Amino acid sequence: MDNDLIAGLGFAVLFVLMLLRVPVGIAMAIVGIGGFASLSGIEPALRMVALSPIRNATDFAFGLIPLFILMGAFASASGMSRELFRAGNAWLGHRRGGLSLATLSACAGFAAICGSSVATSATMARVALPEMRDYGYSRSVSTGVIAAGGTLGILIPPSVVLAVYGIITQQDIGRLFVAAFIPGLLAVAMYMTTVQIIAWLNPDAVPAGTRASWRERIASLRNVWAVALVFFFVIGGIYGGVFTPTEAAGMGAAGAFLIAAMRRSLTPRQTLDSLIESVRTTGAVFTILIGALLFGVFLAVTQTPQKLTDLLLALPIGPHGILLLLLLFYLILGCLMDSLAMIILTVPIIFPAIVDLGFDPIWFGVVVVMTVELGLITPPFGLNVFVIRGVARDVKLSTIYRGVAPFIVTDVLRILLLVMFPSIVLFLPDTMG
Amino acid sequence: MIQRAISGIEILAGLFLAFVAALTFASVILRYLFSFPVPDSFDIGRLMIGVVVFWGIAVAGYRDEHIQMDVLWTLVGPRGKRLIDIFATACSLVAMAVFARMLVRKIVVTYETTSQTFDLRLDIWPFYALAWIGIVAATVLLAVRLWRLMRPTVPAAGAKTPPG
Repeated sequence: MDNDLIAGLGFAVLFVLMLLRVPVGIAMAIVGIGGFASLSGIEPALRMVALSPIRNATDFAFGLIPLFILMGAFASASGMSRELFRAGNAWLGHRRGGLSLATLSACAGFAAICGSSVATSATMARVALPEMRDYGYSRSVSTGVIAAGGTLGILIPPSVVLAVYGIITQQDIGRLFVAAFIPGLLAVAMYMTTVQIIAWLNPDAVPAGTRASWRERIASLRNVWAVALVFFFVIGGIYGGVFTPTEAAGMGAAGAFLIAAMRRSLTPRQTLDSLIESVRTTGAVFTILIGALLFGVFLAVTQTPQKLTDLLLALPIGPHGILLLLLLFYLILGCLMDSLAMIILTVPIIFPAIVDLGFDPIWFGVVVVMTVELGLITPPFGLNVFVIRGVARDVKLSTIYRGVAPFIVTDVLRILLLVMFPSIVLFLPDTMG
Repeated sequence: MIQRAISGIEILAGLFLAFVAALTFASVILRYLFSFPVPDSFDIGRLMIGVVVFWGIAVAGYRDEHIQMDVLWTLVGPRGKRLIDIFATACSLVAMAVFARMLVRKIVVTYETTSQTFDLRLDIWPFYALAWIGIVAATVLLAVRLWRLMRPTVPAAGAKTPPG
C-alpha cells in the first residue's frame, strides 16, 4: 500500500479510536505500532514495543514531570494557595474588583509552584469563590476570573505542558521555562487590566471589599515567603545553570515538602495522598507521552511531517500567514481536545514546518502553549470551566462561559502581541549562558 | 480484594516517587555542599522513575484517569456510554497485554547481557522487572474493569459522570 494512504488511514483510525474514548496515548500507540507494522513488518514493530516505552520511561530528563507534579501536589495540599489569596486580598481587596485581582495574583503565585491549570483552578475555586460570593460579586465574573486565572498554571513556569513540548521537540526545557516567565507576567497584567475594565463598565458586579491596615498587609506577606522561596530556588537554579531541570524538580518537590512539614501544614495522610495523586497524574501523562513517541516513529516512516511542511511552505500567504493559520487550527482543536494531548499529537507533525519557516522553536513553544491553554476556557469542553462547576454546582456552565469571555479576548490579544514582538519571549533566555 | 490491591499499588508507587524526590534532593545537596555525589543516584533515580511511571499507568487505567476525548461520550445515553467504555477498555486491555508480553523480552535481554548501573554495578533487570509488575497489574486491573463493565449490575470502578 502507498505510504500516503497508510498515513491517511492511520489518522482516520486514530480519530475514530479517540472518539470512542480510547485513552489518547493508547490510541496513538495502537496506530503507531499498527502503522509501523504494516510498513516494516510485525517483528520490528514488536521490538519497538519492547524497547521504546521502557527506554523513555527511564530517561532521566523525563523525570522532571513526576517531580514537578509532586511539587504542585504538596503546594496544593499544604494550603499555600490560601495564604497567597489572603495576601492578595490584604493588598488589593479594598479596590473595586479587588477580590478578583487578589484571586489572579494568588493564581499567578500558585502557578509558580504548580504546573497544572486544573489543579490551580480547582484549588482557587475552593479558596476564592466563597469570599467573592460573600462580598456580592456576580457569579459570572467570580467564576470567570478563576477559570481564566487557572490557565496561568501552564503558562507560568514550571509548566508540565511546556516540559512535554521540550521533550518531544528536543528543546532545552530550562530555556523554555525561562522564556515563559515574562509572557506569564504579561498574562497576569493583562488579566488584571481586564478586571479593571469590567469594574469600570459594571461596578456592581465587582464591589470593593474591606480595607486592610498596613500592619495586616505586612503581616500577610509573612505567609507567602515559602512560595517565593521555592519558585526562585527552582527557576533561579535552572536559569543560573546550578541544576538540571530534573534536579530542580526534585529540589522543588523536596523543598515544598520540607517547608510544609516545618510549618506543620501537611499531615502524614495529606503527604501520602499527594504522592498517590502525583503517581496517577504521572501515569496519565506518560501514557500519552509514550504513545506519542510510538506514533512519532510511524510519522517518521511515512514522512508525514516533511510532506506537511512542503504543503505549508507552498501556501502563498507568507510565514506569518501560515503561523496564524496553525494557531487558528489550535484554537479550534482546543475546543475539543485536552491541551496536553493536542501538543503531543500535533507538534511533532508541524514542528519541522515551524523550523523551516524560520521561527524560533523556544518562542513557538511558549506561543503554542498559550494558544492551547485557551482551550481550557473555551466552550464546549473548557476543562477549567468544568472544574469550577464541580466546586460551584449552583452556577450554570453558560454563566461561567459568560464570565470567561472577556479573558478569551485578552488571551487572543496577548498571543498576537507575542507574535508581533517575539523578543518578549526571547529576551530572557537570550541572557542565559 | 481489588480495592486493597489497588490501594497497595498506589501506596507503594507513591513511596517510590518519594524515594526518587529524596534521592535527587540528597544528591544535589551532597554534591554542592560536600562535593560527595551519591553513588548511582542518576541511574537509580531514572530506573525508579520508570517503575513509578509503569505503576502509575496501572492506577490511572483502573481509575479511568487517562486523558480521553469525551466529545461523543457526553452526547450518547447510558447504554451508548457503556458500549463506548467497553470498547475503550478492551482496546486498552489488548494494548497493555501486548506491552506486558514484549517487556518480558526486554527483561530477558537485559538479564542476559548483564547490564548494570554505572557506579555500584547493580543489575538493571530487577528494576525492569519491578516496572513490569506495574504493567501486569495494569493488564489485570483493566480485565477486572472490563468484566465489571460487561455486567451492568456491578458498577465499574472509577467510572466518570458526564461533565457539567
